[in-house]
Amino acid sequence: MSTAVDHPADGVGRVELDAVSMRFRSPKGKEVIALAPTSLALAPGSFSALLGPSGCGKSTLLNAIAGFVDPGSGTIKVDGKTVRGPDPDVGVMFQQYALFPWFTAIGNVQFAMNRFGLARAERRRQALAALEEVGLADRADTYPGQLSGGMKQRVALARTLAGKPKVLLMDEPFGALDAQTRTSMHELLLGIWDRHRTTVLFVTHDVDEGLLLSDCVHVMSANPGTIIESIRVDAARPRSVRTVDERFIANRNRIMQLLSRTPGPEPVVPAQAGTK
Amino acid sequence: MLIKFRNALLSLLGVVAVWWAVAASGWINPELFPTPYAVWQAAVELYQEGLLLSDLRISLARAAVGFAIGSTLGVAVGLLTARTRLFSLALNPFLSLLRPIPAIALVPLAIVWFGIGEPSKFFVISYTVFLAVWLNTHHGMEHIAITYIRASRCLGTTRLREFFEVVIPAAAPHIVAGLRMGAALAFLSLVAAELTGASAGIGFRLQEARQFIRTDRMFVGLIELGLLGALLDLVFVMLSRKLVHWEHL
Repeated sequence: MSTAVDHPADGVGRVELDAVSMRFRSPKGKEVIALAPTSLALAPGSFSALLGPSGCGKSTLLNAIAGFVDPGSGTIKVDGKTVRGPDPDVGVMFQQYALFPWFTAIGNVQFAMNRFGLARAERRRQALAALEEVGLADRADTYPGQLSGGMKQRVALARTLAGKPKVLLMDEPFGALDAQTRTSMHELLLGIWDRHRTTVLFVTHDVDEGLLLSDCVHVMSANPGTIIESIRVDAARPRSVRTVDERFIANRNRIMQLLSRTPGPEPVVPAQAGTK
Repeated sequence: MLIKFRNALLSLLGVVAVWWAVAASGWINPELFPTPYAVWQAAVELYQEGLLLSDLRISLARAAVGFAIGSTLGVAVGLLTARTRLFSLALNPFLSLLRPIPAIALVPLAIVWFGIGEPSKFFVISYTVFLAVWLNTHHGMEHIAITYIRASRCLGTTRLREFFEVVIPAAAPHIVAGLRMGAALAFLSLVAAELTGASAGIGFRLQEARQFIRTDRMFVGLIELGLLGALLDLVFVMLSRKLVHWEHL
Protein backbone atom coordinates (compact mmCIF):
# COMPACT_ATOMS: atom_id res chain seq x y z
CA MET A 1 0.00 0.00 0.00
CA SER A 2 1.25 3.39 -0.93
CA THR A 3 -0.85 5.37 1.52
CA ALA A 4 0.73 7.41 4.22
CA VAL A 5 1.25 5.29 7.30
CA ASP A 6 0.42 7.18 10.44
CA HIS A 7 1.81 5.29 13.34
CA PRO A 8 0.93 7.48 16.27
CA ALA A 9 3.95 8.18 18.41
CA ASP A 10 4.44 5.58 21.13
CA GLY A 11 2.02 5.89 23.95
CA VAL A 12 -0.56 7.87 22.03
CA GLY A 13 -4.13 6.66 22.16
CA ARG A 14 -4.32 5.51 25.74
CA VAL A 15 -7.84 5.25 27.14
CA GLU A 16 -8.55 5.05 30.86
CA LEU A 17 -11.95 4.63 32.47
CA ASP A 18 -12.15 4.88 36.22
CA ALA A 19 -15.36 3.75 37.93
CA VAL A 20 -17.59 5.15 35.22
CA SER A 21 -21.27 4.68 35.91
CA MET A 22 -24.37 6.00 34.26
CA ARG A 23 -27.97 6.16 35.32
CA PHE A 24 -31.03 7.79 33.91
CA ARG A 25 -34.65 8.20 34.87
CA SER A 26 -37.22 6.12 33.05
CA PRO A 27 -40.37 7.92 31.87
CA LYS A 28 -42.12 6.52 34.96
CA GLY A 29 -39.58 8.26 37.16
CA LYS A 30 -37.77 5.09 38.18
CA GLU A 31 -34.02 5.26 38.26
CA VAL A 32 -32.43 2.90 35.76
CA ILE A 33 -28.78 1.99 35.89
CA ALA A 34 -27.40 1.90 32.38
CA LEU A 35 -23.89 1.18 33.53
CA ALA A 36 -22.69 0.07 36.94
CA PRO A 37 -19.23 1.41 37.97
CA THR A 38 -16.87 0.14 35.30
CA SER A 39 -13.12 0.54 34.93
CA LEU A 40 -11.21 -0.20 31.79
CA ALA A 41 -7.79 0.59 30.36
CA LEU A 42 -6.88 0.39 26.69
CA ALA A 43 -3.18 0.38 25.87
CA PRO A 44 -2.01 2.55 22.98
CA GLY A 45 -2.37 0.71 19.69
CA SER A 46 -4.30 -2.20 21.17
CA PHE A 47 -7.42 -3.79 19.71
CA SER A 48 -10.12 -4.58 22.26
CA ALA A 49 -13.63 -5.88 21.95
CA LEU A 50 -16.56 -5.03 24.18
CA LEU A 51 -18.90 -7.98 24.11
CA GLY A 52 -22.24 -8.54 25.75
CA PRO A 53 -25.95 -9.10 25.33
CA SER A 54 -28.11 -6.24 24.09
CA GLY A 55 -29.02 -3.86 26.85
CA CYS A 56 -25.80 -4.44 28.78
CA GLY A 57 -24.67 -0.87 28.27
CA LYS A 58 -21.85 -1.49 25.80
CA SER A 59 -23.04 1.20 23.41
CA THR A 60 -23.62 3.53 26.35
CA LEU A 61 -20.04 3.00 27.44
CA LEU A 62 -18.80 3.70 23.92
CA ASN A 63 -20.93 6.85 23.68
CA ALA A 64 -19.44 8.05 26.94
CA ILE A 65 -15.87 7.55 25.67
CA ALA A 66 -16.83 9.36 22.46
CA GLY A 67 -18.08 12.27 24.55
CA PHE A 68 -21.65 12.01 23.23
CA VAL A 69 -23.08 11.47 26.71
CA ASP A 70 -21.79 12.57 30.10
CA PRO A 71 -20.90 9.83 32.53
CA GLY A 72 -22.87 10.24 35.74
CA SER A 73 -19.79 9.55 37.84
CA GLY A 74 -16.22 8.42 37.36
CA THR A 75 -13.70 9.76 34.87
CA ILE A 76 -12.80 8.98 31.29
CA LYS A 77 -9.39 10.02 30.03
CA VAL A 78 -7.80 9.84 26.61
CA ASP A 79 -4.04 10.35 26.78
CA GLY A 80 -4.48 11.81 30.23
CA LYS A 81 -7.03 14.38 29.08
CA THR A 82 -10.50 14.11 30.57
CA VAL A 83 -13.20 13.61 27.94
CA ARG A 84 -15.68 16.50 28.02
CA GLY A 85 -17.30 16.17 24.61
CA PRO A 86 -16.69 14.84 21.12
CA ASP A 87 -13.08 15.28 20.04
CA PRO A 88 -11.41 14.53 16.71
CA ASP A 89 -8.78 12.51 18.60
CA VAL A 90 -11.50 9.95 19.19
CA GLY A 91 -13.01 8.72 15.94
CA VAL A 92 -16.30 6.85 15.87
CA MET A 93 -17.68 4.45 13.33
CA PHE A 94 -21.39 3.89 13.74
CA GLN A 95 -23.60 0.86 13.37
CA GLN A 96 -26.01 2.63 11.11
CA TYR A 97 -24.54 4.24 8.08
CA ALA A 98 -23.73 7.72 9.25
CA LEU A 99 -22.43 8.79 5.86
CA PHE A 100 -23.89 12.06 4.66
CA PRO A 101 -26.06 11.11 1.68
CA TRP A 102 -25.75 14.62 0.21
CA PHE A 103 -21.99 14.22 -0.26
CA THR A 104 -20.26 11.78 -2.60
CA ALA A 105 -17.96 9.12 -1.17
CA ILE A 106 -14.96 11.38 -1.55
CA GLY A 107 -17.00 14.35 -0.28
CA ASN A 108 -17.64 12.44 2.92
CA VAL A 109 -13.95 11.66 3.34
CA GLN A 110 -12.98 15.26 2.62
CA PHE A 111 -15.48 16.46 5.20
CA ALA A 112 -13.41 14.65 7.83
CA MET A 113 -10.30 16.54 6.71
CA ASN A 114 -11.70 20.06 7.00
CA ARG A 115 -9.95 20.70 10.27
CA PHE A 116 -6.51 20.25 8.72
CA GLY A 117 -6.95 23.30 6.50
CA LEU A 118 -5.36 21.69 3.45
CA ALA A 119 -5.30 23.16 -0.03
CA ARG A 120 -8.10 21.84 -2.20
CA ALA A 121 -5.94 19.65 -4.46
CA GLU A 122 -3.97 18.20 -1.57
CA ARG A 123 -7.16 17.44 0.32
CA ARG A 124 -8.58 15.59 -2.65
CA ARG A 125 -5.34 13.67 -3.14
CA GLN A 126 -5.31 12.50 0.47
CA ALA A 127 -9.02 11.66 0.40
CA LEU A 128 -8.48 9.55 -2.70
CA ALA A 129 -5.62 7.77 -0.95
CA ALA A 130 -7.94 7.03 1.99
CA LEU A 131 -10.54 5.58 -0.39
CA GLU A 132 -7.77 3.63 -2.14
CA GLU A 133 -6.91 2.04 1.18
CA VAL A 134 -10.45 0.65 1.53
CA GLY A 135 -10.48 -0.33 -2.15
CA LEU A 136 -13.03 2.21 -3.30
CA ALA A 137 -10.99 4.81 -5.17
CA ASP A 138 -12.96 4.01 -8.32
CA ARG A 139 -16.24 4.91 -6.58
CA ALA A 140 -15.03 8.27 -5.29
CA ASP A 141 -17.72 10.29 -7.03
CA THR A 142 -20.58 7.94 -6.18
CA TYR A 143 -23.26 8.95 -3.69
CA PRO A 144 -23.79 6.66 -0.68
CA GLY A 145 -27.31 5.86 -1.87
CA GLN A 146 -25.78 4.05 -4.84
CA LEU A 147 -23.37 1.96 -2.75
CA SER A 148 -23.98 -1.44 -1.14
CA GLY A 149 -24.02 -1.80 2.66
CA GLY A 150 -20.46 -3.13 2.74
CA MET A 151 -19.19 -0.33 0.50
CA LYS A 152 -20.89 2.27 2.68
CA GLN A 153 -19.12 0.94 5.74
CA ARG A 154 -15.82 0.96 3.88
CA VAL A 155 -16.34 4.62 3.01
CA ALA A 156 -17.33 5.26 6.64
CA LEU A 157 -14.08 3.62 7.75
CA ALA A 158 -12.09 5.72 5.29
CA ARG A 159 -13.85 8.86 6.54
CA THR A 160 -13.18 8.07 10.18
CA LEU A 161 -9.51 7.33 9.50
CA ALA A 162 -9.12 10.48 7.39
CA GLY A 163 -9.75 12.47 10.57
CA LYS A 164 -6.57 10.89 11.96
CA PRO A 165 -8.03 9.79 15.29
CA LYS A 166 -5.78 8.32 17.98
CA VAL A 167 -8.60 6.14 19.23
CA LEU A 168 -11.14 4.42 17.01
CA LEU A 169 -14.47 3.45 18.54
CA MET A 170 -16.59 1.06 16.50
CA ASP A 171 -20.22 0.41 17.45
CA GLU A 172 -21.20 -2.92 15.86
CA PRO A 173 -20.12 -1.51 12.52
CA PHE A 174 -20.62 -4.73 10.58
CA GLY A 175 -23.78 -5.90 12.34
CA ALA A 176 -26.01 -5.25 9.35
CA LEU A 177 -23.77 -6.98 6.78
CA ASP A 178 -24.03 -10.52 5.44
CA ALA A 179 -21.49 -13.10 6.63
CA GLN A 180 -19.30 -12.99 3.55
CA THR A 181 -19.08 -9.21 3.41
CA ARG A 182 -18.37 -9.22 7.13
CA THR A 183 -15.42 -11.54 6.74
CA SER A 184 -13.86 -9.34 4.07
CA MET A 185 -14.49 -6.28 6.27
CA HIS A 186 -12.68 -8.03 9.15
CA GLU A 187 -9.64 -8.63 6.98
CA LEU A 188 -9.72 -5.07 5.68
CA LEU A 189 -10.02 -3.65 9.18
CA LEU A 190 -7.17 -5.76 10.57
CA GLY A 191 -4.95 -4.75 7.66
CA ILE A 192 -5.67 -1.08 8.26
CA TRP A 193 -5.23 -1.39 11.99
CA ASP A 194 -1.90 -3.12 11.44
CA ARG A 195 -0.68 -0.15 9.38
CA HIS A 196 -2.12 2.68 11.49
CA ARG A 197 -1.99 1.11 14.96
CA THR A 198 -4.80 3.26 16.21
CA THR A 199 -6.23 2.11 19.52
CA VAL A 200 -9.47 0.30 18.66
CA LEU A 201 -12.46 -0.45 20.84
CA PHE A 202 -14.89 -2.64 18.96
CA VAL A 203 -18.41 -3.18 20.30
CA THR A 204 -20.07 -6.42 19.22
CA HIS A 205 -22.46 -9.10 20.38
CA ASP A 206 -20.79 -11.67 18.14
CA VAL A 207 -18.37 -13.85 20.12
CA ASP A 208 -16.40 -15.06 17.10
CA GLU A 209 -16.03 -11.55 15.75
CA GLY A 210 -14.65 -10.36 19.08
CA LEU A 211 -12.19 -13.25 19.37
CA LEU A 212 -11.04 -12.99 15.78
CA LEU A 213 -10.25 -9.29 15.89
CA SER A 214 -9.04 -8.44 19.37
CA ASP A 215 -6.11 -8.68 21.73
CA CYS A 216 -8.55 -8.63 24.58
CA VAL A 217 -12.28 -9.32 24.86
CA HIS A 218 -14.10 -7.53 27.67
CA VAL A 219 -17.27 -9.42 28.49
CA MET A 220 -20.15 -7.43 29.87
CA SER A 221 -23.23 -8.52 31.77
CA ALA A 222 -26.64 -6.91 31.85
CA ASN A 223 -28.34 -5.99 35.12
CA PRO A 224 -26.11 -4.48 36.19
CA GLY A 225 -24.31 -3.51 32.99
CA THR A 226 -20.61 -3.80 33.68
CA ILE A 227 -17.48 -5.69 32.60
CA ILE A 228 -17.39 -9.05 34.38
CA GLU A 229 -14.29 -10.57 32.85
CA SER A 230 -11.55 -9.63 30.41
CA ILE A 231 -10.13 -12.42 28.30
CA ARG A 232 -6.74 -12.07 26.66
CA VAL A 233 -6.41 -13.46 23.17
CA ASP A 234 -2.79 -14.20 22.25
CA ALA A 235 -3.36 -15.97 18.95
CA ALA A 236 -0.74 -14.93 16.39
CA ARG A 237 -1.63 -12.38 13.74
CA PRO A 238 -2.55 -12.18 10.97
CA ARG A 239 -5.65 -14.12 11.88
CA SER A 240 -8.57 -15.25 9.81
CA VAL A 241 -11.62 -17.43 10.21
CA ARG A 242 -9.45 -20.28 8.97
CA THR A 243 -7.09 -20.13 11.94
CA VAL A 244 -9.55 -21.39 14.55
CA ASP A 245 -7.66 -23.58 17.01
CA GLU A 246 -8.22 -25.21 20.40
CA ARG A 247 -7.43 -22.04 22.30
CA PHE A 248 -10.00 -20.17 20.26
CA ILE A 249 -12.61 -22.81 21.11
CA ALA A 250 -11.69 -22.70 24.78
CA ASN A 251 -12.03 -18.91 24.84
CA ARG A 252 -15.32 -19.11 23.06
CA ASN A 253 -16.64 -21.67 25.54
CA ARG A 254 -15.55 -19.51 28.42
CA ILE A 255 -17.33 -16.46 26.99
CA MET A 256 -20.46 -18.46 26.22
CA GLN A 257 -20.46 -19.63 29.82
CA LEU A 258 -20.16 -16.06 31.08
CA LEU A 259 -22.91 -14.84 28.80
CA SER A 260 -25.32 -17.60 29.75
CA ARG A 261 -24.70 -16.87 33.42
CA THR A 262 -25.84 -13.29 33.12
CA PRO A 263 -29.57 -12.92 33.41
CA GLY A 264 -31.38 -11.38 30.51
CA PRO A 265 -33.01 -7.98 30.87
CA GLU A 266 -35.45 -8.18 33.75
CA PRO A 267 -37.30 -5.55 35.72
CA VAL A 268 -35.37 -5.93 38.97
CA VAL A 269 -34.13 -4.15 42.04
CA PRO A 270 -31.79 -1.41 40.92
CA ALA A 271 -31.04 -0.75 44.60
CA GLN A 272 -28.87 -3.85 44.86
CA ALA A 273 -27.43 -3.43 41.43
CA GLY A 274 -25.88 -0.11 42.28
CA THR A 275 -23.98 -1.30 45.35
CA LYS A 276 -21.35 -3.50 43.82
CA MET B 1 -42.33 9.31 -18.72
CA LEU B 2 -43.96 9.05 -22.13
CA ILE B 3 -46.43 6.45 -20.87
CA LYS B 4 -47.28 8.65 -17.89
CA PHE B 5 -47.91 11.56 -20.21
CA ARG B 6 -50.09 9.43 -22.48
CA ASN B 7 -52.13 8.15 -19.52
CA ALA B 8 -52.63 11.68 -18.21
CA LEU B 9 -53.78 12.83 -21.61
CA LEU B 10 -56.18 9.88 -21.96
CA SER B 11 -57.67 10.49 -18.54
CA LEU B 12 -58.19 14.19 -19.30
CA LEU B 13 -59.82 13.37 -22.64
CA GLY B 14 -62.09 10.90 -20.87
CA VAL B 15 -63.22 13.49 -18.34
CA VAL B 16 -63.90 16.05 -21.07
CA ALA B 17 -65.88 13.45 -23.02
CA VAL B 18 -68.10 12.62 -20.04
CA TRP B 19 -68.52 16.33 -19.27
CA TRP B 20 -69.53 17.00 -22.84
CA ALA B 21 -71.99 14.10 -22.93
CA VAL B 22 -73.67 15.26 -19.71
CA ALA B 23 -73.78 18.94 -20.75
CA ALA B 24 -75.08 18.16 -24.26
CA SER B 25 -77.73 15.72 -23.07
CA GLY B 26 -80.01 18.59 -22.05
CA TRP B 27 -80.64 17.25 -18.51
CA ILE B 28 -79.05 20.33 -17.04
CA ASN B 29 -79.67 23.96 -17.91
CA PRO B 30 -76.71 24.98 -20.14
CA GLU B 31 -76.69 28.35 -18.37
CA LEU B 32 -75.60 26.53 -15.23
CA PHE B 33 -73.47 23.81 -16.77
CA PRO B 34 -71.84 24.86 -20.04
CA THR B 35 -70.39 22.45 -22.60
CA PRO B 36 -66.60 22.23 -23.04
CA TYR B 37 -67.02 24.05 -26.33
CA ALA B 38 -68.86 26.97 -24.68
CA VAL B 39 -66.03 27.19 -22.13
CA TRP B 40 -63.47 27.16 -24.91
CA GLN B 41 -65.37 30.01 -26.62
CA ALA B 42 -65.43 31.95 -23.37
CA ALA B 43 -61.67 31.48 -23.06
CA VAL B 44 -61.14 32.73 -26.61
CA GLU B 45 -63.37 35.72 -25.90
CA LEU B 46 -61.42 36.54 -22.72
CA TYR B 47 -58.20 36.21 -24.65
CA GLN B 48 -59.43 38.55 -27.40
CA GLU B 49 -60.48 41.12 -24.78
CA GLY B 50 -56.92 40.88 -23.45
CA LEU B 51 -58.20 39.81 -20.05
CA LEU B 52 -57.02 36.21 -20.07
CA LEU B 53 -53.32 37.06 -20.19
CA SER B 54 -53.48 40.18 -18.04
CA ASP B 55 -55.43 38.34 -15.32
CA LEU B 56 -52.93 35.52 -15.49
CA ARG B 57 -50.01 37.92 -15.23
CA ILE B 58 -51.50 39.83 -12.31
CA SER B 59 -52.49 36.70 -10.37
CA LEU B 60 -49.14 35.02 -10.96
CA ALA B 61 -47.32 38.13 -9.79
CA ARG B 62 -49.38 38.22 -6.58
CA ALA B 63 -48.81 34.52 -5.92
CA ALA B 64 -45.09 34.89 -6.67
CA VAL B 65 -44.57 37.89 -4.37
CA GLY B 66 -46.64 36.29 -1.61
CA PHE B 67 -44.74 33.04 -1.98
CA ALA B 68 -41.36 34.77 -1.99
CA ILE B 69 -42.10 36.72 1.19
CA GLY B 70 -43.82 33.85 2.97
CA SER B 71 -41.27 31.18 2.12
CA THR B 72 -38.22 33.34 2.90
CA LEU B 73 -39.63 34.26 6.29
CA GLY B 74 -40.84 30.69 6.85
CA VAL B 75 -37.43 29.11 6.27
CA ALA B 76 -35.60 31.79 8.29
CA VAL B 77 -37.98 31.61 11.24
CA GLY B 78 -38.10 27.81 11.07
CA LEU B 79 -34.30 27.55 11.27
CA LEU B 80 -34.38 29.89 14.25
CA THR B 81 -37.25 28.39 16.21
CA ALA B 82 -35.97 24.84 15.92
CA ARG B 83 -32.60 25.91 17.26
CA THR B 84 -34.04 27.74 20.24
CA ARG B 85 -35.61 25.64 22.93
CA LEU B 86 -37.64 28.54 24.29
CA PHE B 87 -39.22 29.18 20.91
CA SER B 88 -40.10 25.54 20.48
CA LEU B 89 -41.86 25.44 23.83
CA ALA B 90 -43.61 28.78 23.56
CA LEU B 91 -44.75 28.55 19.98
CA ASN B 92 -46.20 25.09 19.60
CA PRO B 93 -49.49 25.77 21.43
CA PHE B 94 -49.84 29.09 19.62
CA LEU B 95 -49.34 27.36 16.29
CA SER B 96 -52.12 24.91 16.99
CA LEU B 97 -54.43 27.93 17.15
CA LEU B 98 -53.10 29.59 14.00
CA ARG B 99 -53.12 26.55 11.77
CA PRO B 100 -56.88 25.99 11.47
CA ILE B 101 -57.57 29.60 10.43
CA PRO B 102 -58.43 29.56 6.72
CA ALA B 103 -56.92 32.23 4.47
CA ILE B 104 -60.32 33.65 3.58
CA ALA B 105 -61.00 34.50 7.23
CA LEU B 106 -58.02 36.85 7.14
CA VAL B 107 -59.46 38.96 4.35
CA PRO B 108 -61.44 41.44 6.49
CA LEU B 109 -58.44 41.99 8.75
CA ALA B 110 -56.13 42.38 5.75
CA ILE B 111 -58.41 45.08 4.30
CA VAL B 112 -58.49 47.02 7.56
CA TRP B 113 -54.74 46.75 8.03
CA PHE B 114 -53.51 47.18 4.49
CA GLY B 115 -56.40 48.67 2.51
CA ILE B 116 -57.63 47.24 -0.77
CA GLY B 117 -54.36 47.64 -2.69
CA GLU B 118 -51.75 44.99 -3.44
CA PRO B 119 -50.28 44.85 0.11
CA SER B 120 -53.40 43.21 1.54
CA LYS B 121 -53.19 40.50 -1.14
CA PHE B 122 -49.51 39.92 -0.43
CA PHE B 123 -50.35 39.71 3.26
CA VAL B 124 -53.00 37.00 2.88
CA ILE B 125 -50.89 34.90 0.52
CA SER B 126 -47.59 35.28 2.30
CA TYR B 127 -49.15 34.51 5.69
CA THR B 128 -50.57 31.22 4.41
CA VAL B 129 -47.30 30.27 2.73
CA PHE B 130 -45.29 31.34 5.75
CA LEU B 131 -47.18 29.10 8.14
CA ALA B 132 -46.73 25.97 6.01
CA VAL B 133 -43.05 26.60 5.26
CA TRP B 134 -42.27 27.50 8.85
CA LEU B 135 -43.92 24.37 10.24
CA ASN B 136 -42.16 22.07 7.79
CA THR B 137 -38.78 23.70 8.31
CA HIS B 138 -39.17 23.55 12.08
CA HIS B 139 -40.24 19.92 11.92
CA GLY B 140 -37.39 18.98 9.57
CA MET B 141 -34.84 20.63 11.83
CA GLU B 142 -36.19 18.87 14.89
CA HIS B 143 -35.99 15.45 13.31
CA ILE B 144 -32.40 15.40 12.13
CA ALA B 145 -30.85 12.00 12.86
CA ILE B 146 -28.60 12.31 15.90
CA THR B 147 -26.01 10.13 14.15
CA TYR B 148 -25.36 12.87 11.58
CA ILE B 149 -24.68 15.40 14.30
CA ARG B 150 -22.50 12.98 16.24
CA ALA B 151 -20.56 11.99 13.13
CA SER B 152 -19.95 15.67 12.41
CA ARG B 153 -18.92 16.53 15.98
CA CYS B 154 -16.44 13.68 16.39
CA LEU B 155 -14.71 14.84 13.22
CA GLY B 156 -13.99 18.18 14.87
CA THR B 157 -16.32 20.19 12.64
CA THR B 158 -16.95 23.82 13.54
CA ARG B 159 -20.54 24.72 14.44
CA LEU B 160 -20.84 27.07 11.48
CA ARG B 161 -19.74 24.44 8.99
CA GLU B 162 -21.94 21.86 10.71
CA PHE B 163 -24.94 24.16 10.29
CA PHE B 164 -24.43 24.67 6.57
CA GLU B 165 -23.05 21.27 5.56
CA VAL B 166 -24.90 18.92 7.89
CA VAL B 167 -27.93 20.52 9.56
CA ILE B 168 -29.37 22.28 6.53
CA PRO B 169 -28.90 19.38 4.06
CA ALA B 170 -30.34 16.97 6.65
CA ALA B 171 -33.43 19.16 7.02
CA ALA B 172 -33.60 19.98 3.30
CA PRO B 173 -36.08 17.25 2.28
CA HIS B 174 -38.58 18.64 4.81
CA ILE B 175 -37.87 22.23 3.80
CA VAL B 176 -38.40 21.45 0.12
CA ALA B 177 -41.63 19.59 0.96
CA GLY B 178 -42.71 22.70 2.87
CA LEU B 179 -41.95 24.92 -0.11
CA ARG B 180 -43.95 22.64 -2.37
CA MET B 181 -46.89 22.80 -0.01
CA GLY B 182 -46.44 26.56 0.29
CA ALA B 183 -46.57 26.96 -3.49
CA ALA B 184 -49.85 25.04 -3.63
CA LEU B 185 -51.22 27.15 -0.78
CA ALA B 186 -50.18 30.35 -2.56
CA PHE B 187 -52.68 29.45 -5.26
CA LEU B 188 -55.36 28.40 -2.83
CA SER B 189 -55.09 31.67 -0.92
CA LEU B 190 -54.78 33.71 -4.11
CA VAL B 191 -58.50 33.52 -4.77
CA ALA B 192 -59.25 34.51 -1.18
CA ALA B 193 -56.78 37.38 -1.47
CA GLU B 194 -58.42 38.66 -4.62
CA LEU B 195 -61.65 39.08 -2.70
CA THR B 196 -60.04 42.09 -1.02
CA GLY B 197 -61.43 44.47 -3.61
CA ALA B 198 -59.35 43.51 -6.61
CA SER B 199 -60.09 44.85 -10.06
CA ALA B 200 -58.20 42.19 -11.99
CA GLY B 201 -56.86 38.66 -11.57
CA ILE B 202 -58.29 35.19 -11.91
CA GLY B 203 -60.09 35.38 -8.56
CA PHE B 204 -61.62 38.72 -9.44
CA ARG B 205 -62.75 37.43 -12.83
CA LEU B 206 -64.56 34.55 -11.09
CA GLN B 207 -66.39 37.02 -8.86
CA GLU B 208 -67.26 39.20 -11.81
CA ALA B 209 -68.60 36.22 -13.75
CA ARG B 210 -70.91 35.43 -10.85
CA GLN B 211 -72.57 38.85 -11.15
CA PHE B 212 -73.34 38.18 -14.80
CA ILE B 213 -74.08 34.50 -14.25
CA ARG B 214 -71.40 33.60 -16.81
CA THR B 215 -70.73 30.01 -15.77
CA ASP B 216 -68.66 29.51 -18.91
CA ARG B 217 -66.21 32.20 -17.72
CA MET B 218 -66.19 30.68 -14.24
CA PHE B 219 -65.15 27.36 -15.75
CA VAL B 220 -62.34 29.12 -17.59
CA GLY B 221 -61.07 30.53 -14.29
CA LEU B 222 -61.36 27.22 -12.48
CA ILE B 223 -59.53 25.35 -15.21
CA GLU B 224 -56.80 28.00 -15.22
CA LEU B 225 -56.31 27.56 -11.47
CA GLY B 226 -56.20 23.80 -11.84
CA LEU B 227 -53.69 23.88 -14.67
CA LEU B 228 -51.47 26.43 -12.96
CA GLY B 229 -51.48 24.47 -9.72
CA ALA B 230 -50.63 21.19 -11.45
CA LEU B 231 -47.89 22.83 -13.51
CA LEU B 232 -46.38 24.47 -10.46
CA ASP B 233 -46.37 21.19 -8.58
CA LEU B 234 -44.57 19.55 -11.48
CA VAL B 235 -41.95 22.29 -11.36
CA PHE B 236 -41.46 21.62 -7.66
CA VAL B 237 -41.14 17.89 -8.15
CA MET B 238 -38.41 18.53 -10.70
CA LEU B 239 -36.76 21.11 -8.48
CA SER B 240 -36.70 18.73 -5.53
CA ARG B 241 -35.07 16.05 -7.71
CA LYS B 242 -32.24 18.53 -8.19
CA LEU B 243 -32.10 20.08 -4.73
CA VAL B 244 -32.40 16.92 -2.63
CA HIS B 245 -31.21 14.46 -5.25
CA TRP B 246 -30.05 11.95 -2.63
CA GLU B 247 -33.65 11.42 -1.53
CA HIS B 248 -34.53 10.16 -4.99
CA LEU B 249 -31.69 7.67 -5.48
